Amino acid sequence: MSAPDARASAGRRLTVFLLARKSTLAGLALFAVVTLAAAFAPVLSPYDPLEQDLNRVLLPPAWADGGSAAHPLGTDPLGRDLASRMLWGARLSLLISVASVLLGGGLGFIVGIVTGYFGGWLDAVLMRIGDVQLAFPFVLLAIAVLGVSPERTPAQLIGVLGLTTWIVYARVVRSRVLSEREKDYVRAARALGASSARVLLRYVLPNVWQVAPVIGMLYLGFFVIVESLLSFLALGLTPPTPSWGSILADGRQFMMVTPWMPIFPGLAILLTVLSINLVADGMADYFDPKLMKGYAPRHPLPPRMAIASDKVLAVRDLTTVFRLGAGVLTAVNRVSFELGSGQVLGIVGESGSGKSVLALSIIQLLDAPGAVTEGEIVFLGKDLARVSNAEMTGLRGRRIGMIFQNAGSSLNPVLTVGYQLVETLRQHLRLNSEAARTKAREALEMVGIGDPDRVLRAYPFQLSGGMQQRVMIALAMSVQPALLIADEPTTALDVTTQAQLLERLDELRRELGTSVIFITHDIALLADFADVVMVMYAGQVCEIGPRGRVIREPRHPYTQGLLNSVSRVRAPGTNRLSAIPGDPPDPMHPSTGCPFAPRCAYAMAVCREVNPARTGVGPGHEAACHLLTSTPEAVAGGGTS
Amino acid sequence: MTAHLARRTAQMLLVVYGVVTLTFITVRLVPGDPARLMEPPGTPETIIQLVRQQIGTDKPLHVQYGDFLAGLPRGDLGKSFRGGRPVGELIAAYLPNTLLLGIVAMAVATALASIIGIGAALRRNSVVDRAALFLVAVAQSTPNFWLGVMLVLVFAVQLRWLPAIDMSGPESFVLPVATLAVTLLPLLVRTVRQSFIDALGDDHVRAARARGIPEHRVLLIHVLKVASLPLVTLVGLQAGFVLGGSVVVESIFNWPGIGTLALKAIQDRDFPMIQGTVLVIAIVFTLVNFVVDLVYAALDPRIRY
Repeated sequence: MSAPDARASAGRRLTVFLLARKSTLAGLALFAVVTLAAAFAPVLSPYDPLEQDLNRVLLPPAWADGGSAAHPLGTDPLGRDLASRMLWGARLSLLISVASVLLGGGLGFIVGIVTGYFGGWLDAVLMRIGDVQLAFPFVLLAIAVLGVSPERTPAQLIGVLGLTTWIVYARVVRSRVLSEREKDYVRAARALGASSARVLLRYVLPNVWQVAPVIGMLYLGFFVIVESLLSFLALGLTPPTPSWGSILADGRQFMMVTPWMPIFPGLAILLTVLSINLVADGMADYFDPKLMKGYAPRHPLPPRMAIASDKVLAVRDLTTVFRLGAGVLTAVNRVSFELGSGQVLGIVGESGSGKSVLALSIIQLLDAPGAVTEGEIVFLGKDLARVSNAEMTGLRGRRIGMIFQNAGSSLNPVLTVGYQLVETLRQHLRLNSEAARTKAREALEMVGIGDPDRVLRAYPFQLSGGMQQRVMIALAMSVQPALLIADEPTTALDVTTQAQLLERLDELRRELGTSVIFITHDIALLADFADVVMVMYAGQVCEIGPRGRVIREPRHPYTQGLLNSVSRVRAPGTNRLSAIPGDPPDPMHPSTGCPFAPRCAYAMAVCREVNPARTGVGPGHEAACHLLTSTPEAVAGGGTS
Repeated sequence: MTAHLARRTAQMLLVVYGVVTLTFITVRLVPGDPARLMEPPGTPETIIQLVRQQIGTDKPLHVQYGDFLAGLPRGDLGKSFRGGRPVGELIAAYLPNTLLLGIVAMAVATALASIIGIGAALRRNSVVDRAALFLVAVAQSTPNFWLGVMLVLVFAVQLRWLPAIDMSGPESFVLPVATLAVTLLPLLVRTVRQSFIDALGDDHVRAARARGIPEHRVLLIHVLKVASLPLVTLVGLQAGFVLGGSVVVESIFNWPGIGTLALKAIQDRDFPMIQGTVLVIAIVFTLVNFVVDLVYAALDPRIRY
């Protein structure tokens, strides 16, 4: 993208952002009004803010009894025009605050860049000074010092406010620079001999500067308040300089006579700071958009008669979508399969193929804003998409267990393993605490943990990754659920631990007769574990069938590609990790044709237009591919071998 | 653990020493002679010189500094320039009032913030959440010295429901506590809301739900225990706001606390009193943060010293 293009698209993004954020827009408008009033105070003010007229003291505002248009906001105890003093007060307040932000921010930014990029003794010294400054509310001290001086000029105020706040910018900028400096492309640039100045300007600064304006805006609002506060306490600008704080102090003194007087400066400060804070909030979100995270409230589909099934689980036409601001993303698209008692279904696919969303749809714990919109999930005769929330909570953990990829983060970090096990056991098995403790110990022994008492007392962070995953399995299996969903349970583990864990899991599910859905991106894992293999691509099932058939006679080009990449990695003499060329389709803009067509070596014209339906290719073996309905022998040529 | 305590104590002493020394030097470097300020304008130089001798500002700076440091271990903070009473005695009489006001305000603010913050987090992006965030933005933009004045204007002057100034019965706490609490609320509500939202999105919360743990237990035990950790750290920061805010609130409500002492000392250029109040504020602030660290370590098993 060329520079003008980039600028135009940044401008578009800003426009879209502002139109969607009314509060930021309102803040900007308000701030513009205050800034303009401050800038044009000399022109707008009807009087000199210092001009006294002792014949016209404490006049009420124009709209009150006895007020006149000559003094729109009335006059103060010395007969000075309040409107003029308010305008000049805005001017001084903003001037001092902006200058202080520029001083503190500029200094902090430079210190942050230098210490972060070059490090060394300068970094050590400056950061220690900063630590001491941060260990005490230094603004307080600055105010004490400022208050002691007999004369206080704007320059002094700016110096004090700026010098007490530099450290905050310096710290944030420094930590950003530190992480930028270690990024691959920056290291590469340095290795290629780019000068420090060039690396800083071209690679580091563009990714660092955004933090400064947000902190600066927050401090701007803070300084407006501090400046007025100082004047209010008679520690600010030397009188008779007009300041919102000193107007408020005057107003407070004559509160009984002129109750309106304290209201003007207070409202002026409030609206100014509010406008600044609204803009700051908007800036923070614009520069650092936080992703929506969290659990979607579950809304059961309207009830209907489910088709009876003798299977443990029968999923039919399951569709799960995420309604995002930019459109609807279909993560799981009309998926159907069945799982018999004690069977293992292996689901394989790349990341983003919808396999995890499918698992979360079954246990009904989708992330916001996801929702099941169609289909049935018949589990032991109940349609999970339609049961009540209370019933679903009763099934989770008790009848359906689940283990996740990251065992470490799936255990509560501040509760002991024992607490979490006992809590789960008592929830489902109605045990007293002693019996639950005994059962918890047995559960850990069951998953092959040799010293269960130590593990029960341990916090999750004190255990290795393999141990954590064993604990997760114990948590899920100790209540003997009918179905276990394992979502890449061994991906984060090393190969040896992975093998041990899988073996244990396999033994356990045989002993207990549990049906298992095993999700993985590694089709090789399923070769000796799964009864049925289901291959997913772009939210759809492209092939499903008995393990032996799918692995030995894959009929879908995507399955063939997956198996091919595995066999090539394992073949001696090749060291290149081969994958299927190309990327999965953009889920926000699906084509009407087969989702795999753009990456498929055998794609035909029809593939780009019509999404193929699943067709039977053998006993219990189905695949969704146009090649199978037109010329089956064309596919056989591209097999694994 | 012992090594950590020793290191932290040394660190605290260093900060307190640095703050006090900086105050000592800067108040004396700033132009303006306290002795001259104590006497009416036009007082002859000979009398001013006598006053200087009496309060000790005629001695060289390093001698004054030495005397000041020598007194510290004995708890001797010097005598006030005004009235000659020992600084330590005055602070001991005024400090409890500040602490009482601060603790009540922090308790009120934390309780309110927990309700608002958790409510907003559980109904994220709802009307409740938006209203809470808007109120927080307004509270954050409200200067507390103005709020104090307005509260007095409305509730004491106009409605006559509550006393305007002075520390008397429990009802005299209402307005100052309200003023301080509004200052403390914004950051508290934002932190409670954000840490609750973060914790709600944690993997272990989904895992707990997947184990069939009922929603009330998920929220009250699994989420709360993780989400309350940042709140503990915030108490340390709050101590700074309370001590800083006490200057303002005490001046508006004529509260006999350390903020009143400090403000008067600054206006009078009463050096020993300025040093004494800054020293005590520094000690209280660092001690609170030290205790906060210990509490945090006790709550979070991942932190061990």
